[in-house]
Amino acid sequence: MKFKLIVVAAFTLFIAGCAEVETKMQAYPKMYSPSEKPVSMLVVPVVNKTTAADAGDLINSTLTVPFADNGYYVLPVSIVSDIFQREGIVEGSQILGLPASVFKNNFGADSVLYITINKWDTNYVVLAANVTVGMSYILVSTADNSVLWSYDQQIVVDTGGQSSGFILLDIVQTAINTAITDYIPIARQVNATAVATLPYGKYHPQVGQDGDMEVVLKSAREKALDQSD
Amino acid sequence: MSKSLALVVFLVAVVSGCSTVSPGGYFWGNYSYTYHDLIKNPSTESRAAHQKSLRNIITESQEKSLRVPPGIHAELGNLLAFDNQTDAAVTEFSKEVKLYPESTIFIERLLSGVSKGSEEDEI
Repeated sequence: MKFKLIVVAAFTLFIAGCAEVETKMQAYPKMYSPSEKPVSMLVVPVVNKTTAADAGDLINSTLTVPFADNGYYVLPVSIVSDIFQREGIVEGSQILGLPASVFKNNFGADSVLYITINKWDTNYVVLAANVTVGMSYILVSTADNSVLWSYDQQIVVDTGGQSSGFILLDIVQTAINTAITDYIPIARQVNATAVATLPYGKYHPQVGQDGDMEVVLKSAREKALDQSD
Repeated sequence: MSKSLALVVFLVAVVSGCSTVSPGGYFWGNYSYTYHDLIKNPSTESRAAHQKSLRNIITESQEKSLRVPPGIHAELGNLLAFDNQTDAAVTEFSKEVKLYPESTIFIERLLSGVSKGSEEDEI
């Protein structure tokens, strides 16, 4: 019995050890270097690896707000994507092979943000509904192609409504909610979670003061980089 | 589950001042919604709606003494250029550069497109 308890304790420690948390400064040192910290950011159209065709547009239309709120100059996504479209580029995957310096010379951007949607699963389970979203973000310097920030995350967002107290009514209500769900707040929530690990930029009142915040899951930072290959 | 979500939404709304001013200190109005409509259904109507939304962001920001968010003047300029309102477009582009000097190279690129009257740019 005692042995079993020790095994459980050891296993718990092992799991806890896995979830290594870093400070923003430890995780992303280049974001605190005056010579390497970017001011402007160009967002490449997202790469959508899921079958949810609408997910790309939803993420594209909700990106500017969280990244600008974090203190960065985000080049207007609508204009940038128009320029890409005229060049025949509609998806980020067509840009992945280009050296980041292209965006420095042509757009004056200090950094480029690549985003991949890995998962967008809508679940409808009688009384509840939710969507599981998996995304990875990689911010690359246009000066030397080095990675400035990366994060991978999976979150589950509840999309069901309030219970009426009557099971049958609830079932109908859940079905209706799933059909007309407003996905923009959900897309916002997804972006906000990842952006919480991004060091503040020039236009944020606390720029340079967030280095000690222990909010970066080491595994999530590394996972984003694994998927990029 | 949905009760806790409702609570979170409520708290976020309270903290962000009923979501009129964002955590970064900007007013974004309906930006994401009108832009999403514009991508999903590009038309004269959706362009007009997005233009209205951008103008509203600029007016509200000024009323609240906030900095106009990045890209808003540039986007408005781009929509005006699309409607051949060249002078008004150039005015908006200049405002973007004044507010955000790091946009200079990008805006110069857009200005050269407007003055040439052509959209033939090369990446």
